[in-house]
Amino acid sequence: MIQLVVPLVAGVLAHPINNFSINQYAELTVRPDRVEVLALADVAEIPTLQEKPAVDTDHNGTLSDAERAAYATAECGRYADAFVVTADGDRLTWTVTAPGYRVVPGVGGLSTSRLSCTLAAPTTASTLQVDNHYRSGRVGWRELTATADGVRVETTLPAQSVSDRLTAYPRDLLTSVPDVRTATIRVGGAAGAPAATGAPERPAVAGPSWLTAAQTRVESLAGGHLTPVVVALAFLLALLLGAAHAALPGHGKTVMAAYFAGRRGRIRDALAVGGTVTLSHTGGVLAVGLLLSTSTALAGERLLSWLGALSGVLVVAVGVGMLVSARRSRRSPEGHHHHGRSHGHSHAHLYQRPGGRLGLAGIGLAGGLVPSPSALVVLLGAIGLGRAGLGVLLVLAYGIGMAGTLTAVGLLLVVAQRKLGDLATRGYRAARLGGLLTRLTGRVSAGAPTATAALVVLVGLGMGVRAIA
Amino acid sequence: MRRTLIRLGIAAALAAAVLTVATVAFRPTAEAPAARTVARQVDPLADRVARAQQHLRDVPGDWAGWSALGAAYLEQARVTADPGRYPQAEQAARKSLALRRAGNGDALVVLGALANARHDFAAARDQARAALRVDPADADAYGVLADALTQLGDARGATGAVQRMLDTKPGLAAYARASYDLELRGRIPEATALMRRALDDAVDPHDAAFCRTQLGDLAFGRGDLRGAADHYAAALAADSTSIAAQRGRARVRAAQGDLPGALSDYADLTARLPGPSYLIEYAELLNVAGRTAQADEQLSLASAAQQLFTANGGQDGLATAALALATGRPADAVTAARAEWNRRHHPDVADTLAWSLHAAGRDAEALTYAKRAISGGAHPSAYAYHLGLIELSLGYHDEARAELTRALGTNPYFSPVDGPNARRALAALGGSR
Repeated sequence: MIQLVVPLVAGVLAHPINNFSINQYAELTVRPDRVEVLALADVAEIPTLQEKPAVDTDHNGTLSDAERAAYATAECGRYADAFVVTADGDRLTWTVTAPGYRVVPGVGGLSTSRLSCTLAAPTTASTLQVDNHYRSGRVGWRELTATADGVRVETTLPAQSVSDRLTAYPRDLLTSVPDVRTATIRVGGAAGAPAATGAPERPAVAGPSWLTAAQTRVESLAGGHLTPVVVALAFLLALLLGAAHAALPGHGKTVMAAYFAGRRGRIRDALAVGGTVTLSHTGGVLAVGLLLSTSTALAGERLLSWLGALSGVLVVAVGVGMLVSARRSRRSPEGHHHHGRSHGHSHAHLYQRPGGRLGLAGIGLAGGLVPSPSALVVLLGAIGLGRAGLGVLLVLAYGIGMAGTLTAVGLLLVVAQRKLGDLATRGYRAARLGGLLTRLTGRVSAGAPTATAALVVLVGLGMGVRAIA
Repeated sequence: MRRTLIRLGIAAALAAAVLTVATVAFRPTAEAPAARTVARQVDPLADRVARAQQHLRDVPGDWAGWSALGAAYLEQARVTADPGRYPQAEQAARKSLALRRAGNGDALVVLGALANARHDFAAARDQARAALRVDPADADAYGVLADALTQLGDARGATGAVQRMLDTKPGLAAYARASYDLELRGRIPEATALMRRALDDAVDPHDAAFCRTQLGDLAFGRGDLRGAADHYAAALAADSTSIAAQRGRARVRAAQGDLPGALSDYADLTARLPGPSYLIEYAELLNVAGRTAQADEQLSLASAAQQLFTANGGQDGLATAALALATGRPADAVTAARAEWNRRHHPDVADTLAWSLHAAGRDAEALTYAKRAISGGAHPSAYAYHLGLIELSLGYHDEARAELTRALGTNPYFSPVDGPNARRALAALGGSR
């Protein structure tokens, strides 16, 4: 920090950005045959005053309509000259329409002003290169957006203005004033939908808002003053977060359901899956956390996507294993026992089948292998604060919470299956619906080993592809 | 069991192959836009800020991270001359303190540096001392303390703080402060040598531009136009947006007789940073060029800027006094300068108060302050010229002649307006003897 004392700059907070800023916004609309730009400037108090001699050409102190119109035309011309767009290498020549300049009361008896211009140029190019150097030396907000009408565009520019066209400047502590001067827009296809926005969002923790709120709570607890109560509270919160996290889509719940349906899982199996999830999740988060906090070369997002892919591979492997054993059991005479009504028998049988335990472990691993980003964030945060022990404790809580949810889902599946099975075996008259269901499950069960195994393979592929894409 | 394992292995390999294909198929859309933006030049400071922001989005409870972000915002405010970052810097430091109050010296240092930047030097001194109670070897805290004490006029205290900073963390920041400390004691050659050492330490282009500009100012102060021009050119080569370097170049151009070049520099830099002191200098030069109407426009702009600044609760007696002098209101200048003197005893304040009193016709009082200004050892041309004219008004011709000779001898180009005045006054006194 070489903060030698510098001359003071006037006026700190009159204009939302500052009172000598010139803030710009340009909205590009790409159409099949032309590009249009709505170019705006919100000029703060001091530069408005600085420009006044250029506007007030008769120097009578007031700005007549004619003076403002003449200034707007001239200034929009300068804006157009500085707003360079090259289409496949050729610079576009703008036609300027609707120049406007108006003065708005500002702070301290001074005025701010707003300039608006519309630029248009015909083009059918496939690549547009934008380079805005209008008033490039001035401090201020510089924002670009791009939308398409009748074509498809691909660009890093967002489609929506974050400042509502320079009327409301959102400021928070963790964002700098945007300074976007250049962009590339690729134009292709004839589809109507505007293309993706590139707004950087908080990437890690998705889910309902209360979940995000709880996450923030845990993080601030981990950073604050530690008392046993705080630690206990943080532990409980982490437990809840883990449980809630596992309830969100993903985590191999579908696979587990398919697996249990196909193989008639038992309570022990559900517990085994839960246990494996806790172990693998805790281990995974700790390993990833260690890697990320010691190596700067590894990007967290990349690592997570690879782990996601790995868990996809695991699920596919389990599915293929199921497929293999299912086909074998069809061919072998034992297979008939499997379709019989005797639960005890079929379970015992299943349990002894090679690959059964392995499959369960695979599902548990797949469920726990992808570290919950929120747990990772808490761990890294705790390491950053020099409280690694607390971080490990919280991660353990996450794992237990996740295991709780997954075990509960597993138990639910087991119980539901038994209830249906009981209804069917007893053959009660009231169980018409139950009978129907049982017939359904029965039919599913009959073709199940193959069908569910295929389903597991598909789900695994889906997980892998989603993790990587 | 073994066969199953083998089959599982084959399945896994197949799945991996499928996923690899998927990777190749899906990657380009995801990475191409990012690859295209890389071409843009990366500003190390902006990069540091972006990293700190991202880190805190991930780890909002990191109190040390918050104070680091506050420091980065302050640095950005200094480099970009955008005071809009000050509130953000303050909020970041306060957030850090809210997360951890005890032992959080870094946040106190940020708040202290911020107080210095806002010219609230007493508050800065107190924050720095609080930070030093946390860590008695905190070099940054000594830096803030040194700046505050220098501005408050506690030269001995400032020298002590600079010395501690040199002892604990020798480097750019410590050398630059030590250089200014020596300059204020009139030891220009040593100040220059230390600023050169600071320059050797500079890695960041903004830092290099800063050191070069200081070297340019030191060279200009002793009348070395060529050396000053070289330093300013080097500063602008390192950071083409440096306003202080451009102002230096403008002064050199004016001294070399290139009035149009100087005026265009001032027009550009006051457009980018319309602070009262630069606007007043610009107006002065426009008057020299005979463009009085434009000069008046700049002065009314300076008044507006000053008015906005005070409306926001800021206080800067020096700028207020300079503006009052430039617009022919000596009584207001005296009031503002005296108020500033009551807050702090920096030699610049003594000099401004003396010059305001002289303009108001109170030369007897003025003499005390003009002598006070040079008592610390610093004796630049402007101080000497002011003292000389005050002495002349009081009828002390010999002393006046000596001071005016000194002013022109130190830097004959010190001011486009006052330089010729000094020459005329000296000629009227019969020339330097």
